[in-house]
Amino acid sequence: MNVIRTSGLRKTYRTGFWMRAVEAVKGVDLEVKSGEIFGFIGPNGAGKTTTMKILTGLMLPTAGGAWVHELPVSDPQSRARLGFLPEGTFFHDYLTGREFLEFHASLLGLPRDLRRERIPQLLARVGLAGAEDRQIRRYSKGMRQRAGLAQALIGNPDLVILDEPMSGLDPLGRKDVRDVILSLRDEGKTVFFSSHILQDAEMICDQVAIILSGRIVAQGYIDELLGQEHAGAELTFESISEALYHELERQAKRAVVQGPRFLFEFDAEADAEKALDRVRASGGRVRSLVPRRRSLEDLLVEGVKQETRS
Amino acid sequence: MSSLNHIWVLAMNTYREAVRDKLLYNLLLFAGLMIASSILLAQIQLGHDERLYRDVGLSAIAFFGVLIAIFVGINLVHREISSKTIYTMLSKPVQRWEFLVGKYVGLLTLLAVEVAIMSACFIAVLFAKGSEFYSGLLWSILLIYFELALVTAVAIFFSSFTTPYLAGMFTVALWIIGHLLGDLRAFGSRSDIPGLKALMEALYWTLPNLDRLDIKADASAGNPIELARIGAAALYAWLYSFVLMAGAMLLFQRRDFR
Repeated sequence: MNVIRTSGLRKTYRTGFWMRAVEAVKGVDLEVKSGEIFGFIGPNGAGKTTTMKILTGLMLPTAGGAWVHELPVSDPQSRARLGFLPEGTFFHDYLTGREFLEFHASLLGLPRDLRRERIPQLLARVGLAGAEDRQIRRYSKGMRQRAGLAQALIGNPDLVILDEPMSGLDPLGRKDVRDVILSLRDEGKTVFFSSHILQDAEMICDQVAIILSGRIVAQGYIDELLGQEHAGAELTFESISEALYHELERQAKRAVVQGPRFLFEFDAEADAEKALDRVRASGGRVRSLVPRRRSLEDLLVEGVKQETRS
Repeated sequence: MSSLNHIWVLAMNTYREAVRDKLLYNLLLFAGLMIASSILLAQIQLGHDERLYRDVGLSAIAFFGVLIAIFVGINLVHREISSKTIYTMLSKPVQRWEFLVGKYVGLLTLLAVEVAIMSACFIAVLFAKGSEFYSGLLWSILLIYFELALVTAVAIFFSSFTTPYLAGMFTVALWIIGHLLGDLRAFGSRSDIPGLKALMEALYWTLPNLDRLDIKADASAGNPIELARIGAAALYAWLYSFVLMAGAMLLFQRRDFR
């Protein structure tokens, strides 16, 4: 079952004094299945947030359609089992953490008993236990992000839409958010999140869609998109001559001197093997050989190049 | 969940937000000082000092009430949009019209509390000076409240599609014109400029006629006030506010939150 579906979704803004038309989303087709973590990847200004705002009823599409839980997004009931964390941490900061969750739980119509039970649980889950009676304006950015995440989960939704949930967080904060997303999938929930931090997306997503300039340029399961074959290798050598270093430097994509070690990155596996043979033959030592798989970053860069060419 | 519950939750949050705003307390303090200052003013003026307490008191309630209605009203919707706090609310199964009505009801609640506090100050001054608080004054305060409800609806209407700065200017302009419509109509009827009479008539019948809600002079002078006049004025304010809020809802429904 598709939890999210869009068909030929378009959005055109009018901006500036002359009301210039800007097409932010240009015919997006998406299908997000139940129980998956779906990454919506793209650079800033690609159309990720606009698409998410259409899905959450904050913007109206110019053309095409969007459905959540098979209900058109114009129907408020499409948001009944949806939790949304917008980009940035813009909340009612005069409220305490507990009041903030109380307010959003009340908007969802949760009975008082359930609110009393769920709010402390959620605060603990996102790491805000002990800070619940402090006003949100006194929270750090990471704490605000956690409060926002708790707000998105307060209704125990089947679908959680997170717009750049890891943006601006330190590595520990990012790991905590990743853990929450993974635990949501374990509970059978669907997570649709946008990010421009590709490593995070690659680590946790089942499916991804890459959006560039308002168009989806690639969509599918991570393994299908990235393939299983290797895309070059990273080699570290020791005890090689200066002449050999310069020879390999010319062939490699990247060469770095790290004290007594020399690191080379090759795009083609054949080049890496040749370098390996040359180093062995010259009496140098091989410290490591790390095959490189194609990454989402490669995919995005390829997409950008194609977009620029076309 | 019913619309009524959505509106109630949003209204209470609006009320809480306003109550935690320092501006409100400053305005209330000034209103209190203004009402209390009528005691000093009465000592300067010769005669009619009881009427002066009533004039200053009622005017202070109306003026500071309008200040609160405009300042809070124009920012009510805009602040939620500019600070992006609206995102987490409207991404729930809350309809946009429920959001607007919730904000409106929240501000009406706040204004009711404010008017009650200012009225308490006013009554305290009257009692301190041995002056009577009679029903005419109560009706006048009630119609001040209806005027505030109408001015709030004007502020929300403008802020549903424009910036707070423009919404503030338009609302203040309408408030001033709304109190001068009778004079403008009279001026138009006596003018020889072609079309001016028709224009003034059109303005008189379309813009909010706040003079209908202003019985301060009669109440202060102790003149009898017919209940039918109060009922008609209250109905007029209620209907006009309803139309403005309906317009705001229509405009808000088509708005994108970028």
